[in-house]
Amino acid sequence: MEKLLENMKTVYQAEGILQKNFVGQISYTVCLEQKYEELDIEFSYDKQRYTKEDITPELLEELRSVCREKYDLELSDEEIENLAYKIMKTEIHTLASLNDTFIGCVHRQLPVRHMHFTPQWATEGCIPQSSVEGVLKITVLVFHVLLDQTHYTLKVSVR
Amino acid sequence: MKYKRFELHNHTTESDASITCPQLVEYMIKDHADAFAITDHNTISGHEKIQKILRDTKAPISCIYGMEYTTYYGHLLCFNLHEYVPWENIDPGKPELLFSAVHEKGALAGIAHPFSYGAPFARGCRFEMKINDYSAVDFIEIFNNAEPLHEVNEKGLFMWESLVLKGYKIAMSSGMDLHSFTPMTDQFATFVPALDGKTAEEELEYAIRNQKTCISRGPVLKCMPDKTNGTLSFSLEETGKPGFSPRKSPSWLVSLKSEKDTTVHSLHDTVSLEQLGNPKVLIPKLYQGDTSLENLVCVGSVLENL
Repeated sequence: MEKLLENMKTVYQAEGILQKNFVGQISYTVCLEQKYEELDIEFSYDKQRYTKEDITPELLEELRSVCREKYDLELSDEEIENLAYKIMKTEIHTLASLNDTFIGCVHRQLPVRHMHFTPQWATEGCIPQSSVEGVLKITVLVFHVLLDQTHYTLKVSVR
Repeated sequence: MKYKRFELHNHTTESDASITCPQLVEYMIKDHADAFAITDHNTISGHEKIQKILRDTKAPISCIYGMEYTTYYGHLLCFNLHEYVPWENIDPGKPELLFSAVHEKGALAGIAHPFSYGAPFARGCRFEMKINDYSAVDFIEIFNNAEPLHEVNEKGLFMWESLVLKGYKIAMSSGMDLHSFTPMTDQFATFVPALDGKTAEEELEYAIRNQKTCISRGPVLKCMPDKTNGTLSFSLEETGKPGFSPRKSPSWLVSLKSEKDTTVHSLHDTVSLEQLGNPKVLIPKLYQGDTSLENLVCVGSVLENL
C-alpha cells in the first residue's frame, strides 16, 4: 500500500472522537480543485474490540439481560464472554460518492482501510473511476461503538 | 413445469466474504445452480466483475445482480438492481420509501432474515422497521441457511405465512447468506418456474411478482388443483439439487395451511377443497417422516383462487 501511495498529495485530513453507543453518520465533502487520475481515501479507528479490562461483571450482566429480554436467549457465562470478546465490535462502514454518484463502500471491518480508485482498478467494494473530479463526499457510517473516546482519522489523497 | 434453482443470497470479497467473484461463479457452477445472486453489503462493485467473467467464459450459469442493503434497522435484499440507490436517510417508521426507491429502478426488494440477532451484537441484522404497507414488500427471506432453525427461520416462516394468509402477495425466498465455501448440501434453495425464452432475471421477477417461488432442500412439491372435481393432488418434481438424500422409506407428508386450519395428508392423497373449507389461500409444505420443522423439505408455491 505504501508504494501505491507514494507521491500522492493529501488534500484533506480530519479526525474525531466517537462516544460509546453512537449510531449515525458523519459526512465530509471535499471539492476537488482539478481533475485527478487517482484517489485514495484512508480511514482508521481504534478500540475495535473489548480488552480484558473492559469486560466487567456489570457488562456481562448487561449483555445477559439483553439476550434474555430481547432475544429470549439464556446463555452460559462462557457464551456471554465469547460474545463480548469475539462477536461484539465497533462497526463502521465508509461510503464514497463523486458528484452524487456512488463510487464505493467498504463494509469489511478493517480498523485501517483504504478506498483506492484508479481508472483500471479499485479496492474491493469500490468502482474504478476514469477520472476523479468534482465533489467528493465521504460518509462515515457508524453502526456500533463499543467504547468511549474511540478515535478515528480520515485522509484524502490524490494524484 | 420445470423448476430452476436460484441461490439468492451470496457475498464476496467486495464486502465481507472470503470468496472472490470468480470463486463465487465457480462454486455455483460446481454445485449445479442454474442462477445465483450477488448481494454484497451496500455495494454493487462486484457486478461488472461477474458480468465480465460470464461474458468471457460463457459459463453455463446466470447471475442475478443485486445488493443487500445493510441499514441500522434491518437488511433488505434486492434483486435485478443495477445501480446503487442511497439508503442513508432511511426512516425506520417508513421503510416503504426505500422499497419504493428500489422499485423505481425496476428492481425487487424484500426483507432478509427478519429475526436474526441484532444490536448490540450486529446492529441492523434484525429487521426492526415498522412496515405500514406490506404491499411494498416483494418477498421475505424465510429461510436463511446460516441462521438457527427455530430461533430465527421458524419465526420468519410464521411471519411470512401470516401475511400471505391475510392476502398479501408476498413471495418467499431462501439463501445461503454465503460468506465462505459453506457446503450447500441439504440446505434450502429457491426454485422458480423455468419460462421459455426468458432470462433468469425475468424468470425471477415473474416468480416473485406472482408468488411462484418455492424453497426446497431437494425436490419441489407440485400441487395440482382440479377445478372440475374440486380436489387437490400432489406430486414431486426432482430438481437435481446435489446432496439431498431421502430416507430409505420416506413417508412424504403434505401440510396445507389456510387462514383457519392446518391439515396433514399423504403425498398420494387427493384432497377435497370443500372439506378444507374452500380456502382463498393455501400454503403447502412437504415433510419427510413427520411435520416437525427439522423434517421440512419444501415450502411449495402459494395456492390461490382454487
